[in-house]
Amino acid sequence: MMKLRAILVMTIYAILVTLASFWMAKQSYSWFPPEASAESKLTDDLFSLFTGLGTFIYLGVIGPFIYSLIFHRASKYDRSDAPPIEGNTWLEVIWTATPLVLVLTLSFVSYRTYEKMSIRGPMELVHLHVPQMIEPAYAEPFDSTPQQDIQNAVETEPIEQIDVTARQWAWVFHYPEKDITSTELHLPVDRRVRFTLRSQDVLHGFYIPAFRVSQYVVPNEDINLELTPVKTGTYRLRDSMYSGTYFAANQTDVVVQSPNDYQQWLADAAAQTPNSAFNQAAYEYSQSSEPGSGNTKDKVAVRGWATIPPAPPPVVNYAPKHEPKSPPA
Amino acid sequence: MTVERAISQDTEATVRQHQEHDEAGNSKFGFIVFLLSESVIFLSFFVGYTIFKTTTADWYPEGVTGLETKEPLINTIVLISSSFVIYVAERYLHDKKLWGFRIFLLATMAMGGYFLFGQTVEWSGLPFKFQDGLFGGMFYLLTGFHGLHVLTGILLQGLMLGRSLIPNNYDNGYFGVEATSLFWHFVDVIWIVLYTLIYVWQ
Amino acid sequence: MTNISLEPIEIVRGQPYPGAPDNWKRFFTFSTDHKVIGIQYIVTSFIFFLVGGLFAMIMRGELITPEADLVDRTVYNALFTMHGSVMLFFWTFPVLVGLGNYLVPLMIGARDMAFPRLNAVSFWMIPIAGILMMSSFLIPGGPSQSGWWAYPPVSLQNPTNNLINGQVLWILSVAISGVSSIMGAVNFVTTIFKMRAPGMTWFRTPAFVWSVLAAQLIQLYGLPSLTGGAIMLLLDLTAGTSFFTPERGGNPIVYQHFFWFYSHPAVYVMVLPVFGIFSEVLPVHARKPLFGYRVIAVSSVIITVISSAVWVHHMFASATPPWMRMFFMVTTMLVAVPSGIKVFGWVATIWGGKMRFTTPMLFALGGISNWVFAGITGIFLGSVPIDLHVHNTYFVVGHFHYVLYGAIVMGIYAGIYHWFPKMTGRMYYEGLGKLHFVLTYVGTALIFLPMHPLGLMGMPRRVASYDPEFAFWNVVASIGGFLLGLSTLPFILNMVSAWVRGEKVGNNPWRAYGLEWLTSSPPSVENYEELPLVVSGPYGYGRSEPLVSNVPNPDLTEFSESLTPQEAS
Repeated sequence: MMKLRAILVMTIYAILVTLASFWMAKQSYSWFPPEASAESKLTDDLFSLFTGLGTFIYLGVIGPFIYSLIFHRASKYDRSDAPPIEGNTWLEVIWTATPLVLVLTLSFVSYRTYEKMSIRGPMELVHLHVPQMIEPAYAEPFDSTPQQDIQNAVETEPIEQIDVTARQWAWVFHYPEKDITSTELHLPVDRRVRFTLRSQDVLHGFYIPAFRVSQYVVPNEDINLELTPVKTGTYRLRDSMYSGTYFAANQTDVVVQSPNDYQQWLADAAAQTPNSAFNQAAYEYSQSSEPGSGNTKDKVAVRGWATIPPAPPPVVNYAPKHEPKSPPA
Repeated sequence: MTVERAISQDTEATVRQHQEHDEAGNSKFGFIVFLLSESVIFLSFFVGYTIFKTTTADWYPEGVTGLETKEPLINTIVLISSSFVIYVAERYLHDKKLWGFRIFLLATMAMGGYFLFGQTVEWSGLPFKFQDGLFGGMFYLLTGFHGLHVLTGILLQGLMLGRSLIPNNYDNGYFGVEATSLFWHFVDVIWIVLYTLIYVWQ
Repeated sequence: MTNISLEPIEIVRGQPYPGAPDNWKRFFTFSTDHKVIGIQYIVTSFIFFLVGGLFAMIMRGELITPEADLVDRTVYNALFTMHGSVMLFFWTFPVLVGLGNYLVPLMIGARDMAFPRLNAVSFWMIPIAGILMMSSFLIPGGPSQSGWWAYPPVSLQNPTNNLINGQVLWILSVAISGVSSIMGAVNFVTTIFKMRAPGMTWFRTPAFVWSVLAAQLIQLYGLPSLTGGAIMLLLDLTAGTSFFTPERGGNPIVYQHFFWFYSHPAVYVMVLPVFGIFSEVLPVHARKPLFGYRVIAVSSVIITVISSAVWVHHMFASATPPWMRMFFMVTTMLVAVPSGIKVFGWVATIWGGKMRFTTPMLFALGGISNWVFAGITGIFLGSVPIDLHVHNTYFVVGHFHYVLYGAIVMGIYAGIYHWFPKMTGRMYYEGLGKLHFVLTYVGTALIFLPMHPLGLMGMPRRVASYDPEFAFWNVVASIGGFLLGLSTLPFILNMVSAWVRGEKVGNNPWRAYGLEWLTSSPPSVENYEELPLVVSGPYGYGRSEPLVSNVPNPDLTEFSESLTPQEAS
């Protein structure tokens, strides 16, 4: 009778936990910025899987835990010990094997997702004297064809090349085809884009949350990164690797445009003569270091220390018209 | 009850052992643990050297084509032989022959001193500086860090030599000498790896 | 039960400190008593905990609004650098060394650590290093502003061009604390290997001792790597070498390998002893043996081994080639297996037990529940594609604060409350303890849970200003942060007043099973009148087997009278 009840309770709980896990897996999509790249869909699917399984494990552990907290308490005057159960080999084998299988599965699924993104990333970086070492990771033990959207993008048009330069504290984008520069990143929708990331000083992080991929920018290295924007709109590019004093202000907008708008923008930018762009870091620095102007540090309550001066504002063909009044809007 | 009695008697024997457990035994164990840990610093430098060497395009600074290996080889032979010399010294101490111990310990110190002298001569004749690229940095870092260990070893040996002049100092065990000797072997082994990495692999 | 007669094992030793006055003054002396040193560690590091907490609260104050308006950006950057450094090097590491120092010799039936003088030296380096790091606030250039990772090239940028700058002081301070840790690790490992009481085989050794051993082994193989990296960083900064200086051919990524080879396993250095505390506290307050004790004990050592090969998961975005990304993804996820073994073991321990919700038990249970959550988000982070999105975002900050505060700090509190009667002979105040628990648990959830959605939305860590879209969750987190600051007040009040005038309780108020509970509270200088002869394994709840054969066996029920109704509730 007790046993039957226990089985019943456990079954009902298992069903509830499963439902909750599915619900959480569905919910997880809403925790992210918009899915603006083909890669982001892959990441979100993977994250959803992890969320579902994670919820299942969490509730699976916490449920019995809380049940125990409620029902396995000593009564007030009970000074006796509980039954001396020291272990159970079968249980221990099961709870060693289950996580093992689970994490190996998750690793495998993550690997598949990574292959489908085929973001290239820093593979070109490895110049250990054994360049062949990279190949095995791209060999074909499993299905590693890129995701459909990515394949379509690559097949319809050539890959769009954009050079990205990071410095303390500005981003400069160079479009080699038209030889123009910009402090705002404009991208054509539904085309594969290859970024070549370079840093002029320290480590930076190239991170567009809506695209779900971040990559450090390393001085002395050219790092390639390929992405496929699939949704027009304005997103944010942030520096994800702490790069010094004005690191938090090292942001810019990413504008994904239809092919026509993009071409139009390129043409417009090419017609502009290069001009000094607004730069948040340089602006703040000049505010704080003008000698005797009386307005030093008018904005903060606690004064700071000496800092590396920001690089001069970049001189570019195109810079967004608006000058942010307060730090990054 | 009988089982318990057996356990008790067994442990009684262990207690006796425990009672007599020498603190030198602990110290020796601890010292070996420390040396193992210390060797990881060298290991990390060796790994760093290997990574830098395999990934850097212009490994040697301008005008440098490689390192002279002959003098360092003589140095190496002297240093490694000194490991045997200090072992002999330890044996003498074991047999309570203090003069033999002192002579051989002094010989070890002399050989270590020769090694350091040889290092200094080599350093002063090199065409590159500490600040000259990754190779210059790694070369002086590795040899210098090792040299510091050699110097420490010689100082320890001097300390042990001085202590041997105190009457009856080593009658109740000589952990200090054992540790010094272990340290010296450690410094030698590190040098062999270092020599292979820097001089042999060019 | 047979008590065999033994010659008194009393080893006549001089008092380890002159006169051994049993008053507060001995805590300010160069005492070599592991119990004094343990408490010195705990109290000193707690002061640093308050300092680091203050930094955190100023940061949370800055982050209440999106603009950088409370402190200058350089100050904010210095604050998060110092917050991380102080919390790790001067709170979490030393407080756990302190608990280990106090408990390990007692638990294994030894009279002291293997090297008492070395032990005292190790301790006194901590305040010295800590004050050195704090002193960098007073120099013209201010403290280091490169994060507790001190990644070059940022850490090599020296705007004042002074030789004595915040970064140099930071490196020296960390180096001193590193030397202290290495000496401590040598001491612990030797003590645990060589000084266990007769009859205490490995599988009679408490899980806490296993976990301390596993943690200290990591210190031994890991710390030298950080030391190597720090030496090279210092040379780059002061001597003009170019190991990590890109403009002169150096490679900053190599530093990251040096750094993380130690600093990831360092997380296990901190979390393993806390696992040990959970494993000790649960059986006592659930009146049930630790479920799967042997597997839990061995899994600590497995974690030690696996943790040596996971470090690159901190570098998935640092120009790391794909094969490396994949390899370290698998090793990282494998850590979930031994960690899972422990969690399941704990749940099975309380299952069917007879639990009392004392303060240490509440903290242990709270810590475990937080650990489960943190472990799961840890697996998320191990997956390369997910990590590439949340890398260096608040998701990571939330994850590791759940580990460090949710699990580790709560575990430390559990340990302090649990062994408080042993350390002082007095009982803490249960009501204040419960208040402390509630504030801590709620505060933890309020501050660290919102960091996860922030990270998923794409808010980078270490920013002094952020986009307004992140404001809501940041306000919630800041409120939680202030609540956590508040939560230390009942704790301090409780500890101080209970130590001075708390109710005196017997040697074993918890009716616990373990060598440390066989001796007086507080234990005498030499811990035991007679070294215990161990005849059975730990956690013998429900079995009426003796633990030792020569000391009068703790008839566990006998202590029940000393329990006051207040504690029984």
